[in-house]
Amino acid sequence: MAHDGVVLEVDGVSRHFGALAALTRVSLAVTAGQVFSVIGPNGAGKSTLFNVIAGLHEPTAGRVVFRGEVITGLPPEQINRRGLAKTFQITNLFPEISVLDNVRVAAQSRAPESGRPASLWRRPDVDGVALPLLEAFGLAGRRDELAENLSHGEQRYLEVCVALATAPTLLLLDEPTAGMTPGETRDATALIRAIALERQLTVLLIEHDMSVVMGISDRVAVLHFGEKIAEGTPEQIRHDPAVIDAYLGGADD
Amino acid sequence: MSRALGWRALLAFAALAAVPLLPFMSKFYLLLAFDALLFGAVAMSLDLLMGYTGLVSFGHAAFFGLGAYATAALLERGVTSLWACLGLAVVVVGLYALAVSYFSTVRRGIYFALLTLIFAEVVFTFFRYTQTFGGSDGIQGVPPPELVPGIAIDSPLRNYYLVVVFLLLAYVTCRVVVTSHFGRVLVAIRENEDRARFLGYNVQRYKMAVCMISALLTGLGGALYPGRSAFATPDLMLWTVSGELIIMVMIGGIGTLTGPILGGAFFILLQEKVSSYVDWYFIVIGLVLVFIVLFMPKGLLGFRKMLGFGQWRTTA
Repeated sequence: MAHDGVVLEVDGVSRHFGALAALTRVSLAVTAGQVFSVIGPNGAGKSTLFNVIAGLHEPTAGRVVFRGEVITGLPPEQINRRGLAKTFQITNLFPEISVLDNVRVAAQSRAPESGRPASLWRRPDVDGVALPLLEAFGLAGRRDELAENLSHGEQRYLEVCVALATAPTLLLLDEPTAGMTPGETRDATALIRAIALERQLTVLLIEHDMSVVMGISDRVAVLHFGEKIAEGTPEQIRHDPAVIDAYLGGADD
Repeated sequence: MSRALGWRALLAFAALAAVPLLPFMSKFYLLLAFDALLFGAVAMSLDLLMGYTGLVSFGHAAFFGLGAYATAALLERGVTSLWACLGLAVVVVGLYALAVSYFSTVRRGIYFALLTLIFAEVVFTFFRYTQTFGGSDGIQGVPPPELVPGIAIDSPLRNYYLVVVFLLLAYVTCRVVVTSHFGRVLVAIRENEDRARFLGYNVQRYKMAVCMISALLTGLGGALYPGRSAFATPDLMLWTVSGELIIMVMIGGIGTLTGPILGGAFFILLQEKVSSYVDWYFIVIGLVLVFIVLFMPKGLLGFRKMLGFGQWRTTA
């Protein structure tokens, strides 16, 4: 099923939690170099979709194909090793170690020693990966601070740094601007867009705030109550009646 | 190898080597020093789990006891080579630790503490209630092991130097491990196990590996014990011994390696001093522990830092 340039293909994925259908037959395809956004009101199943893709949940039905290989059912660590990194909606760092060590431990996961006996005594020098990342996100001056002492916005950036340090092909960003002010959000989205371009990353982004994604996405899919109700360019989505209904009028649940 | 052994550590080991020269060092004090350093080394091994990985083992006494039984069983049968004893201890403790570390890391959270405890109780019960290895008496009156044929480690002084060498090797091993790639991942697992998985780390494999390292060092420590005491008894595997090891780590300062060595030594010396005056020494030790937990939550090393002596790094 490896279409030209398709990095990630979600194929008819459903996920039920007991009687609750969090996702129902969701399909989408992300091509290389795209910034693909999944939007939807809170509770639409966006994070569940990410957790299925990244290996935290197995889908009840359907499959996920990453770079031509089915990854459904693999544990998160193996999916990450194939080049898929994820950030978390609720900041998920290593709180009591330094900012630099947070990025180092991520970066060294790709060192040749990783997973081999030599890792018991060798310490790979990964600062060549870690320091430029901190620089790019304006965290270089905070490198020796404990991660838990960073401000909320800085922690959001560090989230992305840590994910990027594993040198992914595809980056899954789960509401990277959650909790930011509108001004911070604008800066953050611009930065993420620039870094994705520079590193030729493919990005799959979750947002509940529609305005965030419109400026930076190549393609947008809309989830509502676990189902995909629309997909298209930001311009198409903006004028899609089903989407407008879901966001504005569709409280008839 | 300055990463493993700084000048301060070298000084400390030089001082330890000079301890027998002190005028009041009788055989009794040498054996006491032996115990202090041996349990210090074992507490340090436990710190790899407690301080760096965030796993609390309630079953370390079993690793220690199995090592002691391996040595005692060989010595009893006339195999007196120290190396054979250590080799058998590695095999026995290694096999047991492989099973323990696998099953106790399958699930997360409290299961590690529970399963290490349950496994250790099974081992204790086996040695205590079957006659295979002497039942409740254990193996008594074994001859001293020999370093090479003809050179027996038969005096408190030789035993003392043996344990100093063991402590040195164990310290270098632990220090290298915690400052390596591996050690950094351990700390990441302690801090946030889920995120570590999403960075491509097979968390269970890391937990098993560190559990094995800690168990083997503890077992090797146990293997040195019959050479000093001439016995191995099931009491060495009692869960209270595991509890004492945890207390040693906490007294000394969790996640510092050096701290637990001090904690182990402090515990042994305190136990000896207090128990020579009163029978209820454990109450005193308990009060000391409560004091330390309440007022010096980072242990003796943390106290040192509080007073402003130098910097100690908690993590790699």
